[in-house]
Amino acid sequence: MPNLLQAATSQVGRKFLTGLTGVFLVLFIIFHLGGNLAIFGEPDAMNRYSMTLHELGPLLWFARIGLLAVFLIHAWIGISIWIKKKKARPNKYEVYSSKGGPSKQSLSSRSMAFTGIVLLIFVILHVNTFALGDTGTVMIDGKETHDIKTLVIDTFQNSAGYAFGYAFVMLLLGTHLGHGIWSAFTSLGMKSKKLSAAMYTIGGILAVVFAVGFLFIPLYIYFGGGCEAALIQCQ
Amino acid sequence: MSTSLMTIHLKIWRQKNAEDKGGFHDYTLDNVNEHMSFLEMLDVLNEKLIMEGIDPVEFDYDCREGICGSCNLVINGRAHGPKHKTAACQLHMRNYNDGDTIVIEPPRAAAFPVIKDLVVDRSAFDRIIEAGGYVSVNTGQAPEANLIPVKKKVADEAFDYATCIGCGACVAACPNSSASLFTGAKLAHLNSLPQGQTEREERTLAMVEQMEKEGFGDCSNFAECEAVCPVGISISAIAQMRRDYMKALV
Amino acid sequence: MKLDSKVPSGPLEEKWSKHLQDIKLVAPNNKRKHNVIVVGTGLAGASAAASLAELGYNVKTFCIQDSARRAHSIAAQGGINAAKNYQNDGDSVWRLFYDTIKGGDYRSREANVYRLAQNSNNIIDQAVAQGVPFGRDYGGLLDNRSFGGAQVSRTFYSRGQTGQQLLLGAYQAMMRQVHKGKIQNFPRQEMLDLVVVDGKARGIITRDLVNGTVQKWEADAVVLCTGGYGNVFYLSTNAKNSNVTAAWRCHKRGAAFANPCYVQIHPTCIPVSGDYQSKLTLMSESLRNDGRVWVPRKKGDKRHPNDIPEDERYYYLEERYPSFGNLVPRDVASRNAKMVTDEGLGVGETGKAVYLDFRDAIKRDGKEAIEARYGNLFDMYQNITDDNPYEVPMRIFPAVHYTMGGLWVDYNLMSNIPGLFVAGEANFSDHGANRLGASALMQGLSDGYFIIPYTVGNYIAGEDLQKVDTDHEAFNEAAKASQDQLDRLLNVKGDKSLIEFHRELGKIMWDKVGISRSKEGLESAIEEIRELREDFWNNVRVPGESNYYNKYLEFAARIADFFELAELMALDALQREESCGCHLREEYQTEEGEALRNDEDYSYVAAWEFLGVNGKLETKLHKEDLEFDFVELKQRSYK
Repeated sequence: MPNLLQAATSQVGRKFLTGLTGVFLVLFIIFHLGGNLAIFGEPDAMNRYSMTLHELGPLLWFARIGLLAVFLIHAWIGISIWIKKKKARPNKYEVYSSKGGPSKQSLSSRSMAFTGIVLLIFVILHVNTFALGDTGTVMIDGKETHDIKTLVIDTFQNSAGYAFGYAFVMLLLGTHLGHGIWSAFTSLGMKSKKLSAAMYTIGGILAVVFAVGFLFIPLYIYFGGGCEAALIQCQ
Repeated sequence: MSTSLMTIHLKIWRQKNAEDKGGFHDYTLDNVNEHMSFLEMLDVLNEKLIMEGIDPVEFDYDCREGICGSCNLVINGRAHGPKHKTAACQLHMRNYNDGDTIVIEPPRAAAFPVIKDLVVDRSAFDRIIEAGGYVSVNTGQAPEANLIPVKKKVADEAFDYATCIGCGACVAACPNSSASLFTGAKLAHLNSLPQGQTEREERTLAMVEQMEKEGFGDCSNFAECEAVCPVGISISAIAQMRRDYMKALV
Repeated sequence: MKLDSKVPSGPLEEKWSKHLQDIKLVAPNNKRKHNVIVVGTGLAGASAAASLAELGYNVKTFCIQDSARRAHSIAAQGGINAAKNYQNDGDSVWRLFYDTIKGGDYRSREANVYRLAQNSNNIIDQAVAQGVPFGRDYGGLLDNRSFGGAQVSRTFYSRGQTGQQLLLGAYQAMMRQVHKGKIQNFPRQEMLDLVVVDGKARGIITRDLVNGTVQKWEADAVVLCTGGYGNVFYLSTNAKNSNVTAAWRCHKRGAAFANPCYVQIHPTCIPVSGDYQSKLTLMSESLRNDGRVWVPRKKGDKRHPNDIPEDERYYYLEERYPSFGNLVPRDVASRNAKMVTDEGLGVGETGKAVYLDFRDAIKRDGKEAIEARYGNLFDMYQNITDDNPYEVPMRIFPAVHYTMGGLWVDYNLMSNIPGLFVAGEANFSDHGANRLGASALMQGLSDGYFIIPYTVGNYIAGEDLQKVDTDHEAFNEAAKASQDQLDRLLNVKGDKSLIEFHRELGKIMWDKVGISRSKEGLESAIEEIRELREDFWNNVRVPGESNYYNKYLEFAARIADFFELAELMALDALQREESCGCHLREEYQTEEGEALRNDEDYSYVAAWEFLGVNGKLETKLHKEDLEFDFVELKQRSYK
């Protein structure tokens, strides 16, 4: 155990954990995006998906707590790195610029702390709106379950603030992942230069895919008029 | 070979000692020869300042051929200036144009306190090596050299990491002031060779711990260190350090 | 002054092992009671400090750089020799010994050189065990190359950074002992004086270069590893901070200075481009394996080199030395470059350069092959000169590179002041009048790892060293003298810059005490040095104060010592009325213009005793006769 504690508190260990939790969070994002896209499926696809999750019972709670822990560790370490950075360079440069070449300094990498903190706040609000929000109920296969789909459509259709706010935050998510995906693997010890170069490209593409995937839904609902929209079938 | 002469405006960080607050001073230098090295340009400036009764600008240098690692200027916001794989002493004025303004600062990091002007104290690096950057073999204990075969590929890779000149540009350029490339390079050098295996775990833990103790920041994989490294050491060294560190803990 | 080389008797091969058997030992529990000071942390200093600390002595190390790792050994490119005979090409300890003594033109001690060759193999073992990444072949075993015209491949290398890798190995071994508390390491401290108590070296005076304080340090033995004095020429391939001060101050305290005129000049350096030039950059002489050296046949031919037709090119090395051609030894190549430029055939803006042309090699082997061999050197050349050597011939010129002379030491590497040991380039011992390529690293590490640890112990065990306090008047007197000299320099407040003085001194040295020397030139050099030294002390301007970081004050004190050393070098060159190794006296040449040795009269080590400086340098010559019991003296010929 002292080893694990050391791992969690040392510089290299912290970074390794950021990478590890980052990879978990990316997997979660893939899973979450899959769930979201169910909105374009059969009329009850999204709610069926939600019901399936709920039927997991204690397992769902286990997953939720695990996810929360992973998320908080990732956020906590990220913020602590950002705080330490100020301490490690108390006097700033008058002029500073990147040398380019192999440097991975970019809008994405330089804004990790900012995008990360925005995402942290967003997630709290997001969970409050949807996971803890008041939903009506709907009957699927003779069972009563949460009508999450209606909540989503109502939320985005009726509020430009929600729709655009979400879309904007999803751009930040993409920005975060642009550096984040590659960085996570590097933190886990990705050493090969070829693999690293490939992963940087793949990470960038995935970041765009995730951002577009997530921001499309609120904007489409808002502009498409909710259930009126061509790709969305309501019951 | 035609030679062009330039006028260069300099904005240089001057700081009397560690306690002094410090600030920028402006100087203008005429007739700067394009074939001068950057440090020779500063020599000429100092000659001028001395004759004017002004204390010369202090900066670290020694070999002036890019191998000793003494020079460590941050030039227009870039460690060692604009050229890749080039130490400040090997940078030439032909990389600048007539009328340019050049801002020169010391590497800025809590772990590298300023001694005077552009001279900083990099003894933190020595202490990281001291913590474990060696193979414990006393004089006289060595076996016959060819009893330790090393694959050429492994030896070449170890050399790529061993070539670090310890200038501290990696720390200077890192937005977090991390010393991960310096520490990682020494670890990757010794940990990849058969001679370094016995102490691999202890070495990794000790050097990483010392690096943090010295007050260097965390690594955020900006890879700026690799971009400014005058010998082009790859951040693969850092990835290797993480592997070794986690293995050592398990 | 009595010079006893203390070379053990017996057959050459057994001298060192026999000496080791006879050497006195210090008991392990007593070693920790003894302090040893090591000044300088290059190959010799770092390896000596680490090895002494491993044995149990309390070691203090001092260096002027901000880290022990930056000593100028780091810049050595080519490699390190050892008689391993891994290539099965007939190498042996004897052959390495013989090549070294012959290369030194028979002006070194047989016993010392033989021991060096014996130790060479241990160095490779030690370095490999430390993790020094030497070049290897595909079987994983160590690779070798032929270097500097040697007929066997005995040079071990780490690409072009052998010095760096060996130094880091020694530095790391040293830092391990710092970690263990056996070494206290003091970077940014410059030795300003040696403290001699009752005729023995008992400590040093240093200046803390950060806060300017003059400090006193006591020890039972002092090991000086402070490198060479090539910077007396102002421009050299030495690092800017390399200097003679520590050695010179020991000389002024009574240590004999031996063979100061032996200076090696390296033929393949990048030429000077202007007055602002601060140092010269060496390029590996391996370039001469493929490059052809030439100048235009016509004086003042300003055509672009590529426009000069074949029959108007003077390949002077190939014409004068048909069998060795461009691969003649360093001194021959340097001398000839100076001769052709003196004749007005030099090229480039300054006329102080010759061409090194790869056109034919590229035509023969292809650009890729040349790039594979010399890519990094070509890049370096292009970075500095802005010329592309694949298309335009390189311009090269000789530059001061290494000084064979240094403080006189006996077989134990102890100077004539008991307790003062001198190792590495700082001593005079093993290279005679000329050093072979890839032998400097070997000597530094042989001294530091494998000689000093034994001989320092032998000295300590054999002496009754009473504890000396740093309040002793000898310490106070030396500390005061050091501070006084700094104050004196600061108080001149003249109107001529330090660097200007140094540059002028360098010019005198290069023109008259450089590649070739003559009686007339040396006599006028001595006059000029004296005058310039006088002017220096009356007109130099040293900025700032002594109580803070002040690099120009450091330089001022070093240049002051160079001014005295310069005169000694000229005096030494003047008394040596022969040509040998790197020392070419124009009056002593064969009919073919080759160096003419005079073994009858000059087969000795010239060891100088300091008597004072009073307008002129007061000095006395002592001779240690060199005896050759095992090798036959031959005239070199490269025709």
